[in-house]
Amino acid sequence: MERSEIIKNINSCLAEEFEKDETTFSADGNLYDVLEIDSLDLVDIIVLIEKKFGIKTAKEDFADVKTFNNLYDFLENRINK
Amino acid sequence: MPEWKGKTRGGSLGYRIFIGLIKHCGLRAAYALLFLVVPYFVPFAPKSTKASWWYWRNIHHKPFFKSMWMVLKHYYRFGQIIIDKMAAPSGYEKNFKYDFNDYDRFLEILNSGKGVVMIGAHFGHWALGGQFFGDYSKKINIVMFDAEYQKIKDQIEEMTGGPNYKVIPVNDDEMATIFSIKGALDNGEYVCFQGDRYVNENKVLEHDFMGHPAKFPAGPFLIASRMHLPVVFYFSEKEDTLRYSFNFFFADEPKRNAEKKQEMQLLDQYVSVLEQRLKIHPEQWFNFYQFWQKTKE
Repeated sequence: MERSEIIKNINSCLAEEFEKDETTFSADGNLYDVLEIDSLDLVDIIVLIEKKFGIKTAKEDFADVKTFNNLYDFLENRINK
Repeated sequence: MPEWKGKTRGGSLGYRIFIGLIKHCGLRAAYALLFLVVPYFVPFAPKSTKASWWYWRNIHHKPFFKSMWMVLKHYYRFGQIIIDKMAAPSGYEKNFKYDFNDYDRFLEILNSGKGVVMIGAHFGHWALGGQFFGDYSKKINIVMFDAEYQKIKDQIEEMTGGPNYKVIPVNDDEMATIFSIKGALDNGEYVCFQGDRYVNENKVLEHDFMGHPAKFPAGPFLIASRMHLPVVFYFSEKEDTLRYSFNFFFADEPKRNAEKKQEMQLLDQYVSVLEQRLKIHPEQWFNFYQFWQKTKE
Protein backbone atom coordinates (compact mmCIF):
# COMPACT_ATOMS: atom_id res chain seq x y z
CA MET A 1 0.00 0.00 0.00
CA GLU A 2 1.32 3.41 -0.91
CA ARG A 3 2.19 5.78 1.94
CA SER A 4 -0.24 8.38 0.59
CA GLU A 5 -3.05 5.85 0.70
CA ILE A 6 -2.15 4.86 4.26
CA ILE A 7 -2.16 8.51 5.31
CA LYS A 8 -5.50 9.12 3.63
CA ASN A 9 -7.06 6.06 5.30
CA ILE A 10 -5.73 6.62 8.80
CA ASN A 11 -6.47 10.35 8.77
CA SER A 12 -10.03 9.72 7.69
CA CYS A 13 -10.49 7.14 10.47
CA LEU A 14 -8.93 9.34 13.15
CA ALA A 15 -11.02 12.34 12.07
CA GLU A 16 -14.21 10.30 12.33
CA GLU A 17 -13.27 8.56 15.59
CA PHE A 18 -12.18 11.68 17.44
CA GLU A 19 -14.53 14.09 15.65
CA LYS A 20 -11.76 16.31 14.34
CA ASP A 21 -11.24 18.22 11.12
CA GLU A 22 -8.67 16.39 8.98
CA THR A 23 -7.21 19.68 7.82
CA THR A 24 -5.82 20.22 11.34
CA PHE A 25 -3.63 17.11 10.95
CA SER A 26 -0.04 17.75 9.96
CA ALA A 27 2.84 15.30 9.69
CA ASP A 28 4.77 16.99 12.49
CA GLY A 29 1.72 17.59 14.67
CA ASN A 30 1.64 15.89 18.06
CA LEU A 31 -0.91 13.08 17.85
CA TYR A 32 -2.06 13.45 21.44
CA ASP A 33 -2.37 17.24 21.33
CA VAL A 34 -4.11 17.47 17.97
CA LEU A 35 -6.59 14.69 18.74
CA GLU A 36 -6.92 15.92 22.34
CA ILE A 37 -6.42 12.44 23.73
CA ASP A 38 -4.45 10.88 26.55
CA SER A 39 -2.88 7.46 26.96
CA LEU A 40 -6.26 5.95 27.92
CA ASP A 41 -7.71 6.97 24.56
CA LEU A 42 -4.91 5.02 22.94
CA VAL A 43 -7.22 2.05 23.12
CA ASP A 44 -9.33 3.73 20.41
CA ILE A 45 -6.32 3.98 18.10
CA ILE A 46 -5.24 0.39 18.82
CA VAL A 47 -8.70 -0.96 18.01
CA LEU A 48 -9.01 1.30 14.98
CA ILE A 49 -5.67 0.17 13.49
CA GLU A 50 -6.57 -3.46 14.10
CA LYS A 51 -9.96 -3.06 12.47
CA LYS A 52 -8.87 -0.95 9.52
CA PHE A 53 -5.51 -2.52 8.69
CA GLY A 54 -5.65 -5.89 10.46
CA ILE A 55 -2.51 -5.04 12.43
CA LYS A 56 -2.01 -6.20 16.02
CA THR A 57 0.04 -3.70 17.96
CA ALA A 58 2.31 -4.05 20.99
CA LYS A 59 3.44 -1.54 23.58
CA GLU A 60 6.87 -1.26 21.93
CA ASP A 61 5.21 -0.20 18.65
CA PHE A 62 3.72 2.85 20.31
CA ALA A 63 6.62 3.81 22.54
CA ASP A 64 8.03 6.14 19.88
CA VAL A 65 4.78 7.24 18.28
CA LYS A 66 4.39 10.88 19.19
CA THR A 67 3.54 12.62 15.91
CA PHE A 68 1.31 11.79 12.96
CA ASN A 69 4.47 11.11 10.98
CA ASN A 70 5.58 8.52 13.54
CA LEU A 71 2.23 6.82 13.16
CA TYR A 72 2.41 6.87 9.35
CA ASP A 73 5.95 5.39 9.53
CA PHE A 74 4.82 2.65 11.85
CA LEU A 75 1.85 1.74 9.66
CA GLU A 76 3.89 1.85 6.46
CA ASN A 77 6.53 -0.44 7.95
CA ARG A 78 4.02 -2.94 9.24
CA ILE A 79 1.74 -2.97 6.21
CA ASN A 80 4.53 -3.31 3.69
CA LYS A 81 6.64 -5.68 5.78
CA MET B 1 -11.69 15.20 47.10
CA PRO B 2 -13.64 11.92 46.70
CA GLU B 3 -10.62 10.13 45.37
CA TRP B 4 -9.42 6.78 46.64
CA LYS B 5 -5.72 6.84 47.46
CA GLY B 6 -4.88 3.35 46.21
CA LYS B 7 -4.22 1.89 49.66
CA THR B 8 -6.24 -0.60 51.63
CA ARG B 9 -6.50 -0.33 55.41
CA GLY B 10 -5.50 -3.15 57.73
CA GLY B 11 -2.25 -4.22 59.35
CA SER B 12 -0.65 -7.62 59.02
CA LEU B 13 -0.77 -8.22 62.81
CA GLY B 14 -4.56 -7.92 62.70
CA TYR B 15 -4.73 -10.40 59.83
CA ARG B 16 -2.49 -12.84 61.71
CA ILE B 17 -4.63 -12.68 64.85
CA PHE B 18 -7.77 -13.39 62.87
CA ILE B 19 -6.15 -16.18 60.84
CA GLY B 20 -4.96 -17.81 64.09
CA LEU B 21 -8.41 -17.49 65.63
CA ILE B 22 -10.10 -18.98 62.56
CA LYS B 23 -7.69 -21.92 62.51
CA HIS B 24 -7.89 -22.74 66.21
CA CYS B 25 -11.29 -21.56 67.37
CA GLY B 26 -13.42 -21.35 64.24
CA LEU B 27 -15.22 -18.80 62.16
CA ARG B 28 -17.78 -17.78 64.76
CA ALA B 29 -15.04 -17.00 67.30
CA ALA B 30 -13.49 -14.65 64.76
CA TYR B 31 -16.88 -13.03 64.19
CA ALA B 32 -17.20 -12.62 67.97
CA LEU B 33 -13.88 -10.77 68.16
CA LEU B 34 -15.35 -8.25 65.74
CA PHE B 35 -17.62 -7.02 68.56
CA LEU B 36 -14.46 -5.70 70.21
CA VAL B 37 -12.74 -4.52 67.05
CA VAL B 38 -15.65 -2.65 65.46
CA PRO B 39 -16.08 -0.05 68.25
CA TYR B 40 -12.34 0.65 67.98
CA PHE B 41 -12.70 1.64 64.35
CA VAL B 42 -15.44 4.19 65.00
CA PRO B 43 -13.16 6.75 66.73
CA PHE B 44 -9.81 5.56 65.39
CA ALA B 45 -10.74 5.49 61.70
CA PRO B 46 -12.42 8.91 61.65
CA LYS B 47 -12.40 9.40 57.88
CA SER B 48 -13.98 6.00 57.30
CA THR B 49 -16.50 6.58 60.06
CA LYS B 50 -17.39 9.98 58.64
CA ALA B 51 -17.84 8.49 55.18
CA SER B 52 -20.02 5.69 56.51
CA TRP B 53 -22.07 8.15 58.55
CA TRP B 54 -22.60 10.38 55.49
CA TYR B 55 -23.59 7.31 53.48
CA TRP B 56 -26.33 6.27 55.92
CA ARG B 57 -27.60 9.79 56.50
CA ASN B 58 -27.55 11.09 52.93
CA ILE B 59 -27.78 8.08 50.64
CA HIS B 60 -30.14 5.92 52.68
CA HIS B 61 -31.73 8.78 54.66
CA LYS B 62 -31.58 6.91 57.97
CA PRO B 63 -32.52 8.81 61.13
CA PHE B 64 -29.77 9.90 63.53
CA PHE B 65 -29.74 6.95 65.96
CA LYS B 66 -30.43 4.42 63.24
CA SER B 67 -27.43 5.80 61.34
CA MET B 68 -25.22 5.29 64.41
CA TRP B 69 -26.33 1.69 64.55
CA MET B 70 -25.80 1.25 60.80
CA VAL B 71 -22.23 2.57 60.98
CA LEU B 72 -21.44 -0.20 63.48
CA LYS B 73 -23.26 -2.75 61.35
CA HIS B 74 -21.41 -1.49 58.28
CA TYR B 75 -18.01 -2.11 59.92
CA TYR B 76 -19.20 -5.43 61.32
CA ARG B 77 -20.33 -6.69 57.89
CA PHE B 78 -17.05 -5.54 56.37
CA GLY B 79 -15.14 -7.42 59.07
CA GLN B 80 -17.23 -10.54 58.55
CA ILE B 81 -16.50 -10.56 54.84
CA ILE B 82 -12.76 -10.09 55.42
CA ILE B 83 -12.89 -13.02 57.86
CA ASP B 84 -14.77 -15.13 55.28
CA LYS B 85 -12.12 -14.19 52.74
CA MET B 86 -9.39 -15.38 55.14
CA ALA B 87 -11.30 -18.48 56.22
CA ALA B 88 -12.18 -19.77 52.75
CA PRO B 89 -8.70 -20.85 51.67
CA SER B 90 -8.05 -22.33 55.14
CA GLY B 91 -10.57 -25.09 54.46
CA TYR B 92 -13.78 -23.29 55.33
CA GLU B 93 -14.86 -22.75 51.75
CA LYS B 94 -16.84 -26.03 51.73
CA ASN B 95 -18.88 -24.77 54.70
CA PHE B 96 -20.23 -21.88 52.69
CA LYS B 97 -23.26 -22.26 50.47
CA TYR B 98 -23.50 -20.40 47.22
CA ASP B 99 -26.42 -19.41 45.05
CA PHE B 100 -25.70 -18.52 41.46
CA ASN B 101 -28.03 -16.40 39.40
CA ASP B 102 -27.73 -16.65 35.63
CA TYR B 103 -24.66 -18.88 36.04
CA ASP B 104 -25.45 -21.01 32.94
CA ARG B 105 -25.51 -17.95 30.72
CA PHE B 106 -22.33 -16.72 32.38
CA LEU B 107 -20.57 -20.06 31.68
CA GLU B 108 -21.81 -19.96 28.11
CA ILE B 109 -20.06 -16.62 27.68
CA LEU B 110 -16.86 -17.88 29.35
CA ASN B 111 -16.90 -20.90 27.03
CA SER B 112 -17.37 -18.81 23.89
CA GLY B 113 -13.60 -18.60 23.39
CA LYS B 114 -13.76 -14.81 23.26
CA GLY B 115 -12.28 -12.46 25.79
CA VAL B 116 -14.72 -11.28 28.44
CA VAL B 117 -14.72 -8.02 30.38
CA MET B 118 -16.09 -8.35 33.90
CA ILE B 119 -16.85 -5.28 36.00
CA GLY B 120 -17.55 -5.57 39.71
CA ALA B 121 -17.43 -3.18 42.64
CA HIS B 122 -16.19 -2.89 46.20
CA PHE B 123 -19.48 -4.39 47.20
CA GLY B 124 -19.87 -7.79 48.86
CA HIS B 125 -16.99 -10.10 48.06
CA TRP B 126 -16.79 -11.68 44.64
CA ALA B 127 -13.65 -13.80 45.12
CA LEU B 128 -15.22 -16.15 47.64
CA GLY B 129 -16.40 -19.35 46.00
CA GLY B 130 -13.35 -19.36 43.76
CA GLN B 131 -13.42 -23.16 43.55
CA PHE B 132 -16.50 -22.87 41.35
CA PHE B 133 -14.41 -21.09 38.76
CA GLY B 134 -12.05 -24.09 38.63
CA ASP B 135 -9.92 -23.99 35.49
CA TYR B 136 -11.61 -20.76 34.45
CA SER B 137 -9.68 -18.98 37.19
CA LYS B 138 -6.44 -19.58 35.24
CA LYS B 139 -7.82 -17.24 32.59
CA ILE B 140 -8.89 -14.53 35.05
CA ASN B 141 -6.88 -11.29 35.11
CA ILE B 142 -7.66 -8.83 37.87
CA VAL B 143 -6.88 -5.20 37.08
CA MET B 144 -5.71 -3.79 40.41
CA PHE B 145 -4.00 -0.64 41.61
CA ASP B 146 -0.35 -1.44 42.12
CA ALA B 147 -0.22 0.03 45.65
CA GLU B 148 -3.16 -2.13 46.71
CA TYR B 149 -1.73 -5.23 45.04
CA GLN B 150 1.69 -4.83 46.70
CA LYS B 151 0.01 -4.51 50.08
CA ILE B 152 -2.19 -7.59 49.84
CA LYS B 153 0.14 -9.78 47.71
CA ASP B 154 2.05 -11.21 50.67
CA GLN B 155 -1.13 -11.84 52.61
CA ILE B 156 -2.72 -13.65 49.65
CA GLU B 157 0.38 -15.80 49.22
CA GLU B 158 0.56 -16.60 52.91
CA MET B 159 -3.08 -17.60 53.05
CA THR B 160 -3.44 -19.44 49.76
CA GLY B 161 0.04 -20.28 48.56
CA GLY B 162 -0.41 -17.75 45.79
CA PRO B 163 -3.39 -16.36 43.95
CA ASN B 164 -5.01 -18.63 41.36
CA TYR B 165 -5.59 -15.68 39.06
CA LYS B 166 -3.32 -13.20 37.33
CA VAL B 167 -3.00 -9.55 38.28
CA ILE B 168 -2.61 -6.67 35.83
CA PRO B 169 -1.23 -3.84 37.98
CA VAL B 170 -2.31 -0.28 37.29
CA ASN B 171 0.51 2.20 37.79
CA ASP B 172 1.96 5.23 36.05
CA ASP B 173 2.70 3.27 32.88
CA GLU B 174 -0.84 3.37 31.51
CA MET B 175 0.28 2.24 28.10
CA ALA B 176 1.67 -1.01 29.56
CA THR B 177 -1.60 -1.60 31.40
CA ILE B 178 -3.68 -1.02 28.28
CA PHE B 179 -1.60 -3.43 26.23
CA SER B 180 -1.66 -6.07 28.99
CA ILE B 181 -5.45 -5.83 29.09
CA LYS B 182 -5.73 -5.94 25.30
CA GLY B 183 -3.33 -8.90 25.15
CA ALA B 184 -5.31 -10.89 27.72
CA LEU B 185 -8.60 -10.22 25.92
CA ASP B 186 -7.07 -11.14 22.54
CA ASN B 187 -6.01 -14.46 24.12
CA GLY B 188 -9.62 -15.17 25.02
CA GLU B 189 -9.02 -14.49 28.73
CA TYR B 190 -11.22 -12.67 31.21
CA VAL B 191 -10.33 -9.23 32.50
CA CYS B 192 -11.93 -8.06 35.74
CA PHE B 193 -12.19 -4.45 36.80
CA GLN B 194 -13.68 -2.78 39.82
CA GLY B 195 -15.85 -0.09 38.31
CA ASP B 196 -16.28 2.07 41.39
CA ARG B 197 -12.81 3.38 42.28
CA TYR B 198 -10.42 5.72 40.58
CA VAL B 199 -7.06 7.14 41.52
CA ASN B 200 -6.74 9.78 38.83
CA GLU B 201 -9.17 12.67 39.15
CA ASN B 202 -8.64 13.55 35.48
CA LYS B 203 -9.84 10.20 34.17
CA VAL B 204 -13.32 9.85 35.50
CA LEU B 205 -16.88 9.70 34.25
CA GLU B 206 -19.55 11.54 36.19
CA HIS B 207 -22.91 9.96 36.81
CA ASP B 208 -25.71 10.30 39.32
CA PHE B 209 -25.64 7.32 41.66
CA MET B 210 -28.27 6.74 44.34
CA GLY B 211 -29.50 10.27 43.77
CA HIS B 212 -26.16 12.05 44.19
CA PRO B 213 -23.44 12.93 41.70
CA ALA B 214 -20.49 10.57 41.78
CA LYS B 215 -17.37 9.90 39.81
CA PHE B 216 -16.40 6.56 38.31
CA PRO B 217 -13.13 5.48 36.71
CA ALA B 218 -13.21 6.06 32.94
CA GLY B 219 -10.79 3.21 32.15
CA PRO B 220 -12.97 0.11 32.64
CA PHE B 221 -15.93 1.58 30.78
CA LEU B 222 -13.89 3.09 27.98
CA ILE B 223 -11.88 -0.08 27.37
CA ALA B 224 -14.91 -2.39 27.71
CA SER B 225 -16.99 -0.30 25.31
CA ARG B 226 -14.33 -0.34 22.58
CA MET B 227 -13.42 -4.03 22.54
CA HIS B 228 -16.73 -5.34 21.14
CA LEU B 229 -16.59 -8.23 23.58
CA PRO B 230 -19.13 -9.50 26.13
CA VAL B 231 -19.32 -7.34 29.25
CA VAL B 232 -20.59 -8.88 32.49
CA PHE B 233 -21.32 -7.03 35.72
CA TYR B 234 -20.81 -9.38 38.67
CA PHE B 235 -21.52 -9.06 42.36
CA SER B 236 -21.19 -11.53 45.20
CA GLU B 237 -23.27 -10.74 48.25
CA LYS B 238 -23.35 -12.21 51.74
CA GLU B 239 -26.91 -13.41 52.28
CA ASP B 240 -26.48 -14.85 55.77
CA THR B 241 -23.73 -16.28 57.97
CA LEU B 242 -22.63 -19.03 55.62
CA ARG B 243 -24.40 -18.19 52.38
CA TYR B 244 -23.33 -16.05 49.46
CA SER B 245 -25.11 -15.26 46.22
CA PHE B 246 -23.33 -14.65 42.95
CA ASN B 247 -25.21 -12.41 40.58
CA PHE B 248 -24.29 -11.86 36.95
CA PHE B 249 -25.73 -9.18 34.70
CA PHE B 250 -25.04 -8.99 30.99
CA ALA B 251 -24.52 -5.58 29.45
CA ASP B 252 -25.99 -4.62 26.09
CA GLU B 253 -23.29 -3.68 23.62
CA PRO B 254 -23.01 0.11 23.39
CA LYS B 255 -23.83 1.66 20.02
CA ARG B 256 -21.99 4.47 18.29
CA ASN B 257 -24.32 7.27 19.11
CA ALA B 258 -23.77 10.97 18.73
CA GLU B 259 -25.96 11.73 21.74
CA LYS B 260 -24.16 9.56 24.24
CA LYS B 261 -20.63 8.19 24.27
CA GLN B 262 -20.25 4.43 24.33
CA GLU B 263 -18.54 4.41 27.72
CA MET B 264 -21.42 6.42 29.17
CA GLN B 265 -23.93 3.95 27.74
CA LEU B 266 -22.08 1.19 29.55
CA LEU B 267 -21.81 3.22 32.75
CA ASP B 268 -25.59 3.84 32.63
CA GLN B 269 -26.14 0.10 32.72
CA TYR B 270 -23.55 -0.48 35.45
CA VAL B 271 -24.98 2.22 37.70
CA SER B 272 -28.50 0.92 37.23
CA VAL B 273 -27.49 -2.62 38.28
CA LEU B 274 -25.29 -1.44 41.15
CA GLU B 275 -28.08 0.76 42.53
CA GLN B 276 -30.40 -2.22 42.44
CA ARG B 277 -27.89 -4.37 44.39
CA LEU B 278 -27.12 -1.59 46.86
CA LYS B 279 -30.78 -1.23 47.76
CA ILE B 280 -30.88 -4.92 48.65
CA HIS B 281 -27.62 -5.04 50.66
CA PRO B 282 -26.73 -1.44 51.57
CA GLU B 283 -24.34 -2.53 54.34
CA GLN B 284 -22.13 -4.32 51.80
CA TRP B 285 -20.98 -1.12 50.12
CA PHE B 286 -17.29 -1.05 51.09
CA ASN B 287 -16.00 2.29 49.92
CA PHE B 288 -15.11 3.86 53.25
CA TYR B 289 -14.22 7.27 51.86
CA GLN B 290 -16.26 10.19 50.58
CA PHE B 291 -17.39 8.50 47.37
CA TRP B 292 -20.08 10.99 46.42
CA GLN B 293 -19.66 14.63 45.53
CA LYS B 294 -21.46 16.84 47.98
CA THR B 295 -22.72 19.47 45.56
CA LYS B 296 -26.41 18.67 46.06
CA GLU B 297 -26.31 19.00 49.83
